[in-house]
Amino acid sequence: MANVSIQDIEAIDDYWGPTFRSILEGNAVESISEQLENRIKSHDKDIEKICNLYYQGFIESIRELLQVRTQAKSLNNEILSLDESLQAASDSSLSKGKELVRARQIEKNIVTTIDELSRCLPVLECYSRLVTQVNDRQYYPALKTLEILEKEHLTKITGYRFTTEIVNSIPKLKEHIKKSSEEDFRKFLENIRKYSSKIGEVAMRQTRKLEKRDIESFIQDFKANEKNNFSTDDDNDVCAQDLIDFSPIYRCLHIYTVLNDKEYFEKDYRQQRTDQAKLIIQPPQGMHDNLEAYKTYIYSIVGFFVVEDHVKNTAGDAVNITYLEDLWSTSLSKVVNDLNMSSSSCTDPNVLLRIKSLIMLMINTLKTYNYTVNQLWEFLYGMRDHYNEVLLQRWVHVFRDILDKESFLPLEVETQEEYDDVCERFPFYSEQLENKTTWPKEFPFSAMVPEVYHQAKEFMYACMKFSEELTISPNEVATMVRKAANLLLTRSFSGCLSSVFRNPSIALTQLIQIIIDTQYLDKATPFLDDFVCKMTFTENNIIHGAPTAMFHVARSEAEKYVSERICQKLDEFFELTDYNWLLVEPNGNASAYISDMLSYLISTFQSFAHKLPNIALSSCKKACEHIAFKILDLLLCDDVKQLSVGALHQINLDLMQCEIFADSDPVPGLQKNELTKFFDKIRQLLDLLMAEDWSTYLHDYGKSENQNRYCLVQPSTIIIILEKMKEAEKKTMFTVLKKSERDKKKLWETVLKQLRQLNEKQN
Amino acid sequence: MAKTYDYLFKLLLIGDSGVGKTCILFRFSEDAFNTTFISTIGIDFKIRTIELDGKKIKLQIWDTAGQERFRTITTAYYRGAMGIMLVYDITQEKSFENIKNWIRNIEENASSDVEKMLLGNKCELNDKRQVSKERGQQLAVEYGIKFIETSAKSSINVEEAFLTLASDIKAKMEKRMESSNPPKGGVHVSKASDSTRKPESWLSRCSLL
Repeated sequence: MANVSIQDIEAIDDYWGPTFRSILEGNAVESISEQLENRIKSHDKDIEKICNLYYQGFIESIRELLQVRTQAKSLNNEILSLDESLQAASDSSLSKGKELVRARQIEKNIVTTIDELSRCLPVLECYSRLVTQVNDRQYYPALKTLEILEKEHLTKITGYRFTTEIVNSIPKLKEHIKKSSEEDFRKFLENIRKYSSKIGEVAMRQTRKLEKRDIESFIQDFKANEKNNFSTDDDNDVCAQDLIDFSPIYRCLHIYTVLNDKEYFEKDYRQQRTDQAKLIIQPPQGMHDNLEAYKTYIYSIVGFFVVEDHVKNTAGDAVNITYLEDLWSTSLSKVVNDLNMSSSSCTDPNVLLRIKSLIMLMINTLKTYNYTVNQLWEFLYGMRDHYNEVLLQRWVHVFRDILDKESFLPLEVETQEEYDDVCERFPFYSEQLENKTTWPKEFPFSAMVPEVYHQAKEFMYACMKFSEELTISPNEVATMVRKAANLLLTRSFSGCLSSVFRNPSIALTQLIQIIIDTQYLDKATPFLDDFVCKMTFTENNIIHGAPTAMFHVARSEAEKYVSERICQKLDEFFELTDYNWLLVEPNGNASAYISDMLSYLISTFQSFAHKLPNIALSSCKKACEHIAFKILDLLLCDDVKQLSVGALHQINLDLMQCEIFADSDPVPGLQKNELTKFFDKIRQLLDLLMAEDWSTYLHDYGKSENQNRYCLVQPSTIIIILEKMKEAEKKTMFTVLKKSERDKKKLWETVLKQLRQLNEKQN
Repeated sequence: MAKTYDYLFKLLLIGDSGVGKTCILFRFSEDAFNTTFISTIGIDFKIRTIELDGKKIKLQIWDTAGQERFRTITTAYYRGAMGIMLVYDITQEKSFENIKNWIRNIEENASSDVEKMLLGNKCELNDKRQVSKERGQQLAVEYGIKFIETSAKSSINVEEAFLTLASDIKAKMEKRMESSNPPKGGVHVSKASDSTRKPESWLSRCSLL
């Protein structure tokens, strides 16, 4: 038993409980402890054996270790030398390596720089291009470049000094460009000012060509082209606005648009052009009759507005409608005004006609450019009046020339040719004259008649000339021509004629001839009307309407002047009166001046009464009236202070001569008493005074004509004469104081008193 | 009416048609000249006042038609005339020859003591002259009248002619007034002599009473 338990303990590792129980239970503890002691002795023996064995190995190991120590020492040496050599070897490579690192660094830097530079380069290129462009004055591309530079390049690249500089220089460049382009623009403006008249001229020429274009000219053009196969006139196809290079405007406009200053430019453009317009519409000095000046003036204006129109159509808002209309209307009024001023002092109808066609052309040209031209039309209408006025003035000279050369004798022709010539010029036919076979033939009128008639026609023609193309209806033209002709004949011609017959050198004979002439002219008036109708292609409606005055005024004035002339002569006779107002007794003869005067009248009326009976009649009446007035005036005249009965008798004798003359039918066509009635008043007065028939006068005073013997005598008249007679008596009576004389004086005093009362009552 | 003159002389221009009577008159009265020829019809007159020795003299100058057909009218004026200008044209022989007829006419119709004068007109046209100055003078001497060559156009001697005639008439009248108190003698009583007589008649009447 004890053996087993140790084995068990040894065999089992951990489950030792039951073993120990058995031991304890079997009272085997001494056996076990002996067993264990045996066991410990066996194990000590084993350990001693083992230790013996391993000690050997230990010695050996120490020996070996010692051996390793030496070996390690050599190894260390070896390594040290090796290290040294290695150190030496690695030193150069190390420095190389460092160099390499630096090189690498540099390389990297270079790469970065290149990158940066290549980014900057376009900017610089761009900038340099910009500068070149600016220097080459290519402003518009320059601005484009500038824009690219600003928008694309400069935004990307910042922080460089050069960019800052570029950025700083940009406004300057812009300013420079602005200035330069403005300069260009100014040059353009100067240029255009020079060319505007040329442009106007070309524009107007084209308009004229277009106007005149009809089928025939087309055919001609076509033929010409076929023949030549090339354009004959290089101006033909040139448009007015092609004459000038407008690019400065566009450039400038673009530039300003790009520079965001378009409005400024537009404003500037308008301002500049407005100023130019002011200059252009300033008429040249002394334009009034200088056609060339008108041409240049009008060409420039047309040119100016053609340019404006072109700019309006091509350059956007620089010329907008409001501005242009404004400028046009203000300019137009000024132009019309100036044209008016100038043309109104032009006195050459031909120049006026040319001006008119010039303005017509101007109107048509401007119309094609859509300008309103009403004012110009109105101006032309006004100018027509002036033209007529000028014509009138001119024809005044024509008439004056004709009349100056005129002798106012019936026109005599020597040959058939001359005769036909007159008949052709003047509508006159006389069978008697036609059939007369002997030469010379004498027309009833003087040479001025056909001449004046012809000139009246010429005037009408000239008058009409202005209305051509003026878009007036033929009726209006006819009316206008008639009106002007009327004015010409009633005013100008009459004026000339009247100054002729007022000339003292014109004898009565000539005056009579003038009247005859005007009668013939008057008769020819309808032919003038016909002429107007023919010229204007209108119907003649004048015949049924009021007769045109035409020569009528001239005639009636001349007629009036005949009486005036005769009365002047009568006055001259009366200047020769030489009455002795204190004559005691007349010698029984009429005064010499009265006899001379009456025989002068007789021969004068004889000389023309058969030619112009009416005028002879009226002027004879006038003459008698005048004589009666003058005789009465002799008595009443303040210069005559005294009047003797004898002198009264002498006057009576003279008056009787006049009455005999009046009764003798000195002109045909008189009615009974038609002339003598003019002497009735003075006759009554003389009868009353000589008969001293006071009682009848005072009795009949205030009664109706047939009951009153002295109905024509006014108390005031008698008072004046009676006073004079009293004065005359005084002179003779200072020696004679007969009773009869005293009675007479008393009677006169009473009569005077009563007459004064009557006179007062009358007043 | 106050008198504006001392004497009134009536003068007459006679001569052939076209010798320039009207022009002479026109030159004298208006100091002007008209180139156109207008034959006078019947008779016309002009008045001009001149001064001689401080006397105002009104000249009423009658211009007669030279044409034969007006002869009856014109001769009626001869009677009253105190002076007659006989005019011929030195470029028209015929007008000179006719002076004799005109003088006969005067003798028949005018008062016997009428002052006459011979005028050779158009003396500016010397190159067309047909009547020499000597012949004019010769004729004037024959009739015992004065002679002068005139030009109405160039205003030569026209004034002188009229002044000479006027002063001759004046001298004759004054002489006659001196010699005989009643100045009446001629066929015609001139107004001017009337006026000079006026105070005398007044005085004579006074003395009678």
